[in-house]
Amino acid sequence: MCVCVRACVRACVRVCVCASDIISTVEFNSTGELLATGDKGGRVVVFQREQESKNQPHRRGEYNVYSTFQSHEPEFDYLKSLEIEEKINKIRWLPQQNAAYFLLSTNDKTVKLWKISERDKRPEGYNLKDEEGRIRDPTTITALRVPVLRPMDLMVEATPRRIFSNAHTYHINSISVNSDYETYMSTDDLRINLWNLEITNRSFNIVDIKPANMEELTEVITAAEFHPNQCNTFVYSSSKGSIKLCDMRESALCDNHSKLFEEPEDPSNRSFFSEIISSISDVKFSHSGRYLMTRDYLAVKVWDVNMENKPLETYQVHDYLRSKLCSLYENDCIFDKFECVWNGTDSVLMTGSYNNFFRMFDRNTKRDVTLEASRENSKPRAILKPRKVCVGGKRRKDEISVDSLDFSKKILHTAWHPSENIIAVAATNNLYIFQDKVN
Amino acid sequence: MVAKGQKRKIHGDYEIGGSVWASQLQSVLDISMDKFHHDQALVEPSLLRSVLINNTLRQVQFEVESLSVVGNPKSQTYTELQLESDFSRGSPLMGHNTHTDEDFMAWSSEDEFSLSSAISAILKDLDAVIEIGGPGPCVSQRAPLGSIENVTRDGKFTQSGLRTERTSDIISSSSKIDTMYPSGLQDVALDKLLLDIDTTVFEPEVNFLQGFSVTADELVKCLPSMSKSSSLDSPSSSICHGQATWEIHEIEHVMDILMRTCPQS
Repeated sequence: MCVCVRACVRACVRVCVCASDIISTVEFNSTGELLATGDKGGRVVVFQREQESKNQPHRRGEYNVYSTFQSHEPEFDYLKSLEIEEKINKIRWLPQQNAAYFLLSTNDKTVKLWKISERDKRPEGYNLKDEEGRIRDPTTITALRVPVLRPMDLMVEATPRRIFSNAHTYHINSISVNSDYETYMSTDDLRINLWNLEITNRSFNIVDIKPANMEELTEVITAAEFHPNQCNTFVYSSSKGSIKLCDMRESALCDNHSKLFEEPEDPSNRSFFSEIISSISDVKFSHSGRYLMTRDYLAVKVWDVNMENKPLETYQVHDYLRSKLCSLYENDCIFDKFECVWNGTDSVLMTGSYNNFFRMFDRNTKRDVTLEASRENSKPRAILKPRKVCVGGKRRKDEISVDSLDFSKKILHTAWHPSENIIAVAATNNLYIFQDKVN
Repeated sequence: MVAKGQKRKIHGDYEIGGSVWASQLQSVLDISMDKFHHDQALVEPSLLRSVLINNTLRQVQFEVESLSVVGNPKSQTYTELQLESDFSRGSPLMGHNTHTDEDFMAWSSEDEFSLSSAISAILKDLDAVIEIGGPGPCVSQRAPLGSIENVTRDGKFTQSGLRTERTSDIISSSSKIDTMYPSGLQDVALDKLLLDIDTTVFEPEVNFLQGFSVTADELVKCLPSMSKSSSLDSPSSSICHGQATWEIHEIEHVMDILMRTCPQS
């Protein structure tokens, strides 16, 4: 695995962290041309990759802001006297079918379908209104003319095309577009609903794990995703560390899973926090659909869809935190939900950690690397230097000790370009874009 | 912190039931209870977080119960627990946690009840806050959700921590309690329910309750204006005209109770 990663920094220049600017989700579209970020303030910022230019070859692959819009606003549920946060929990792109781009964005309660389109021409020469748009007196019109389209400055506009609301009692944590490109599912803590992209006033509940007696609740849904090419298959993960694969052809209601992926607990590592750290924060199908990747608090696991009793591979992200679990429980870090991503060929995994570190694991060579997303270490076009955490003994010069880690700086959200080695890493309110070194 | 590859020194206190283990258990319990109380103050705590804390508390409770039942540490079970070196949280806590074995047993028996009630309260409160009104009209429900959940057939009304409710929920809940409770307990249960009502939504109509010298008939005349109140109007709380008469009677019943329980001016 090539560890020569060049920094191509796109960052907000802020001295203090404004809470509403904290990036809460990052997602490339299916071609990698666009990169969308959502933040805690309900805004979506879409970056577009620059076209290759012979005049400026060094600017190849740079992403610039393409569109910014306010996706969700804070709302108040008067019935329950609850404020609904505008924070964007997830963004998912729809496959491009025409000149416009479509994406789904969701906060805790409402999913919205946005259309992002370009306008570079405007009609001129109306008969009934002048160029400023004022209505003309019909009696002054002596001749008819045909309006023509004339070039104008490129304008990118985002319009909400569908709003899917009133379907979730609990907080939405995932959305996933089906490979049929007609349906998608939205997942909250206890239920999964299936929507048709064209129909906003009705959805179908396909999974419901809410017990009749809430006092018996011991498990919640943490993430869900459709299979990349089997439109009938999806998986959802739970707070108890299990992953359930469901087939919608078996039953309209998928409470009974088809497959259950679960690894027995290692008795030597058992502690009061075993269950908390086994809670799965993210689940992703590989691009091939043959593998599943899950992220719990300390590790990333790769599962073969055909083998349920244990994962195929386990990669420790930051095992040095195992002895700090009590402190991490006390300061709530143990509840952090890290995401994980595949590269385009399903050969490399990436996930975040603390101190603005993020880790990559090469499944073929079994090598791993720790990199840091920080302004000091990420000068544009500079090569990122691998970092190392000292777990004991003598600390070397470039190593950082576990006790020196900054737990307020966490990489929860990352994204990998679908076909190239370009990654996007969200560090609090900054977005870093890194790519392979170009010779 | 335990370094990799180095052999830990096993002290006698690391034995389950020993003082160090007890302090670890106490630490987890203290932190969990702190988080529980903190989350109780929140309007809408995270369900995932609450469930994980709740399960941790249950595990602590299990450990405590195991000790109290067996009397001696279950060495074959507890030696599997990984003891964490950073449980020593500093001298104040260590001073607080210097229990003897006897003190620990006494603590466990006293706090076991509060622990069970805390665990139950977490999830009851969550359900009370979150499930009011159901998920909305867009989802085809597989089974109709009652306006009050966790009301068991044995007549125990377990709902607590209500913040606001729709008028229709108040009416339907009062009617349910009417069927389940003996008459003597009915007023007490309703009082408990009504105390949780957010009276601010009724403010525009509260004038007719002032003085409490009005008759029940006069109250009934005023009630339709309350059903038309915009503050109660929401897609999920629309009151059908066909149910108006029935609901007016129920509201009248509720108002009677209010008159009996509220002091006359």
